[in-house]
Amino acid sequence: MTDLTSTRINNDLTRPLLQTSWRFYALAAALGSIVLTALVAWMSQAYYGFGVTGIRWPVYWGFYVTSFVFWIGISHAGTLISAILRLVNAGWRRPVTRCAEVITVFALMIGAMFPIIHLGRPWLAFWLVPYPSERMIWPNFRSPLVWDFFAINTYLIGSVLFLLLPMIPDFAVVRDHSKGLRHRMYRVLALGWRGTPKQWHRLETAMQIMAIAIIPVAVSVHTIVSFDFSMAPVPMWQSTIFGPYFVAGAIFSGIAALILAMAALRRFLQLQAYLQPLHFDNLGKLLLLMALLWGYFVFNERLVVYYGNEPAEMAVFWRTQRESFAPLYWTMVVCNFAVPLVLMGIRRFRTIAGCVVASFAVVVGMWLERFLIIVPSLGAKYLPYTFGIYRPQPVEMIIAGATFAAMAFLYVLFAKVVPIISIWELKAGEHVSRESRPSVEESHLGQVQP
Amino acid sequence: MKAVYGLYPDGHAAQQAVNRLRAAGIPEPDITILSARPMEEYEFGRRDKGTWMWWFACLGGALGMSAGYGLSWLTETSWPIDVGGLPIFAWWPNLIIMFELTMLGAIVATAAALIASALVPSRGRTLYDSEVTDGQILVGVENPGEAAVHDIEVALSAPPGARVKSR
Amino acid sequence: MPQWGMAADLDRCNGCGACVVACHAENNISTVGPDQAARGRAKHWIRVERYWEGEFPDVRVKFRPVMCQQCGNAPCEPVCPTYASHHTEDGLNAQVYNRCIGTRYCANACPYSVRFFDFFNPSWDRPLQVQLNPDVSLREVGVMEKCTFCVQRIRGAQIQAKAEGRELRDGEIQPACVQSCAPRALVFGDLANPESEVSRLSRSSRGVKLLEHVGTEPAVTYLARLS
Repeated sequence: MTDLTSTRINNDLTRPLLQTSWRFYALAAALGSIVLTALVAWMSQAYYGFGVTGIRWPVYWGFYVTSFVFWIGISHAGTLISAILRLVNAGWRRPVTRCAEVITVFALMIGAMFPIIHLGRPWLAFWLVPYPSERMIWPNFRSPLVWDFFAINTYLIGSVLFLLLPMIPDFAVVRDHSKGLRHRMYRVLALGWRGTPKQWHRLETAMQIMAIAIIPVAVSVHTIVSFDFSMAPVPMWQSTIFGPYFVAGAIFSGIAALILAMAALRRFLQLQAYLQPLHFDNLGKLLLLMALLWGYFVFNERLVVYYGNEPAEMAVFWRTQRESFAPLYWTMVVCNFAVPLVLMGIRRFRTIAGCVVASFAVVVGMWLERFLIIVPSLGAKYLPYTFGIYRPQPVEMIIAGATFAAMAFLYVLFAKVVPIISIWELKAGEHVSRESRPSVEESHLGQVQP
Repeated sequence: MKAVYGLYPDGHAAQQAVNRLRAAGIPEPDITILSARPMEEYEFGRRDKGTWMWWFACLGGALGMSAGYGLSWLTETSWPIDVGGLPIFAWWPNLIIMFELTMLGAIVATAAALIASALVPSRGRTLYDSEVTDGQILVGVENPGEAAVHDIEVALSAPPGARVKSR
Repeated sequence: MPQWGMAADLDRCNGCGACVVACHAENNISTVGPDQAARGRAKHWIRVERYWEGEFPDVRVKFRPVMCQQCGNAPCEPVCPTYASHHTEDGLNAQVYNRCIGTRYCANACPYSVRFFDFFNPSWDRPLQVQLNPDVSLREVGVMEKCTFCVQRIRGAQIQAKAEGRELRDGEIQPACVQSCAPRALVFGDLANPESEVSRLSRSSRGVKLLEHVGTEPAVTYLARLS
């Protein structure tokens, strides 16, 4: 029985790597062309000058910084699932860890592009790297943007390693089941993995260490991104709550992105036996929790501003709540709070479809939240003579929109090259659960869902 | 003969094989065990538990922290520039840099230690069978002495479901 | 070590805008055209803000010239990743164009919104390029620029005084806006010298600092009779 199940797991999870249909090529081509369009748009911005965007005095940050914060936020999916659930030994995480870690890595890569895209002189972005330069100057370590550089790089390197290390045994599986060029490629990637107890101990210890290390890094990354705002004396930016607020929002949007990715994988790679309603139910509960937490932070932030009644801050406050930004603001509240509360709070609605709808709403709502933090405040700083209205231009909309295609593109390519569910972790969990006869929730393959 | 080994469908059989090999007088380090997943519920899966990984991580973290401190202190004091009245070496912002580099050092040191240990096979052992990735557990002996081969084959064949091979 | 500062007497300012024009001429600031100006890309290092007070028909108009306040506690300085924005020993907030990579964080941090971004490469219709001031470098697309208290004039006067072996006189250095102000509303000088006119005016009972509650410690004092 174990043999059959183990072989079946191998087959199911390596099938996407070993069999390719025309649909994959069509999808990759479509997504790739959208990404290419965005690259052309960026090149035109570099060539014609930054003025082709909608950025203006005094709203100097717009769609690009919104996208930056948004994608760095999405990247917190992997850390929560892999690291935190690993440390608290939640067995249901096993089929989900790699999907989540992949989101983290690619979202970070996409997010990290934006500090370069939004620069006035992007060809000099390397000046943020601390190296002994002939200009006799180093980066300003007192600047939040330099903290961003260090934090995002640390998180990116950490996440890539966190993703790669547990892939080694799975590369061994593919190595043993393929021939020719593929076999040679995976043999190199598997680093001579054999599966001795010593190797397993080393791998699991390394994963443990990295799980413990990556959680504070993830918290610090989005806190430091929030410092990009709270370190400037702009009305409604200089708030001490920004650190935890942004981290909570990041985890919130990360879970939503994870649910969407898992639903897509389940559908298109026929992984119904592995990504079960149980997983969506658990993630849906987490989404509900984060929606409540998000609402708590927003209430905190706004109540304090409202009570303080400081003229400059109230100008921004009413801008979002009653005046020009009100439609976007209330859409955000509905998407981030009302929809997840209803769909995830009522058990009948907490199905896979319900989770997908709620997650989509959260993704929209969180993007709007980033936008509404940045643009209304910058457009209404202290002196009324300096107020201004930001109108995004096509180049910004193309680049910001194409990031979603880029994410899908990278994800599709990854699922073609690496098993999207960690084979050995799944098997390990399956065996542990069967041995100790736990409650129904622990068993992943006991009930086969159609 | 380079190796004699048996393939077993589950942990019970593999554990019996290991016990019989020990009873046959094979020294512990000469017994090779391979599995497709960590099997810590069995005794054989718990051997060789000692690892230096935590020490490597701490070392990497310490290196990272000193790199962060050195980088910020050295560059800020060598080229002092006044920005907004902040002190030249400001602890609060520099702690952020130090923290990030500490964690980076710990993470990279851990990964480097793992990859280095994977690339260097321990004591030249190379025994492998691709059926391991199908869920079979391999228990065997590499480079056995001529006299011991028969005893090994007997020990390996005894547990249920065993398939003994040699190469 | 001098600490440069300014005083702006709002009771004298009549909103003529000569300071704005002079600043453009002295500092090689290009105009951007009506379309770009409507899109908020104009670079008026000094601007004259106009406010209306009272209800019709008892309406009064007030003018306020706002330039970089050269803050002692400048929020634009710590946030620049490349040290393009930093504080000099003589109290100026320096903008080093060559270090700027255009993150625009400094402009967001400035509560007075006196920092400007070069959205395109500045250009002048021929033959206007021959009137460019050789003492001031041209900026390229992607960098931030702002009022420098005409630092080229300050340094030029300091070098001249040193060459002649004498001290600088109060009133000897005049930034372009101060020089062109007909009602003499703008005054420039050394705040570290208690005898200078700008020091006297900064101690005036009519003196206030703009956005003082933000804590930026600006070096510009605005004088206005409280009505």
